[in-house]
Amino acid sequence: MLEQTGIPEASDINGVFPSDERLAKGPVAVIECFQRIPCNPCSTACRRGAIEAFDDINDLPKVNHEKCNGCSLCVSRCPGLAIMVVDMTYAEDKALLKLPYEFAPLPEEGSSVTALNRAGEAVGEALVVKVQNTPALDKTPLVSIAVAKDLARTVRNFRVTDDTSAESPGILRGDEAPSPMVCRCNDLDLDNIRDLMKKGFTSIDEIKRVSRLGMGPCQGRNCIPLVLGELSRFLGKPVSELDPGTYRPVVKSVSLGAVAEYDGEALTE
Amino acid sequence: MRINTHPILEFKRGAAVTITFDGKPIEARDNETIAVALHAAGIRNIGRSMNLHRDRGLFCAIGNCSSCMMIVDGVPNVRTCLELCRDGMTVETQHDKGVLA
Repeated sequence: MLEQTGIPEASDINGVFPSDERLAKGPVAVIECFQRIPCNPCSTACRRGAIEAFDDINDLPKVNHEKCNGCSLCVSRCPGLAIMVVDMTYAEDKALLKLPYEFAPLPEEGSSVTALNRAGEAVGEALVVKVQNTPALDKTPLVSIAVAKDLARTVRNFRVTDDTSAESPGILRGDEAPSPMVCRCNDLDLDNIRDLMKKGFTSIDEIKRVSRLGMGPCQGRNCIPLVLGELSRFLGKPVSELDPGTYRPVVKSVSLGAVAEYDGEALTE
Repeated sequence: MRINTHPILEFKRGAAVTITFDGKPIEARDNETIAVALHAAGIRNIGRSMNLHRDRGLFCAIGNCSSCMMIVDGVPNVRTCLELCRDGMTVETQHDKGVLA
């Protein structure tokens, strides 16, 4: 599910969380990095060697939770904001989460905020304990929030205000949504393309000749990849086996006068 | 509307200039593109499609989709998402394929 939704599930979270024994000893970093990408600033940020050096830059970080002392140097260094520090020893019934927070406005220390889970849903209240925004953090402020201990594995973000009046208009879905635009130059939407394919036009060149797809000012830069994907689904063939259509160099009109007056010197206008 | 506070980015606004859009003066900055200045002034319809002449808004903003072409100082088919504002510039909506002068 993580690949489809981008939201880690309980099993994903438990896989990267330290043991209960380690959590009982004090603050520790939790790295929710689930995708192999070429990225290693967390490993180079750690001065205790708790995030092991990468053999391959695509590796997922391996954290030695026993070496980690929860200093949070790595938290603001992760470009994906995938690291937080969890302190289960903060209070009798509260856990402290130190989160990277790249939103405006920053919360005020001592204020109450709405705690959100990894899907962005409100799950409870949180108290803002500390807000750090030093130059060394390079515009990734760290916000420490106190949450109920049983929410320590659920909460991963928070919302400063519940004022939703500034929300953008909703996205139309289902029957309400118009057919997605494929060719912005010649006004062809996905339904038009599918109709053409059902009529038997099953290559880029055929669709181009009947509909002028790819012949507008964008020269097919936007529509051809979309239609290739749709053709691939329709024909059951990978895109690599499909003909991307005939490409011709860009032509710009030149007045005859510009050619007639050409004296061998570089053309200025 | 312009974003003034951003958690990561800093905006270095250029000098204030005035461009003319379909006869109306528009406040702009000299280091922003025409499409951005029009968007900030609340103008969302900046192009027309070739076939059905439907409204087209700012889409790719990097000169790829050619949905924002306008007549700038008399020159048609200028991609306004790439062209920077200059003081006194004249910008007109383009309703056809453009005619070379």
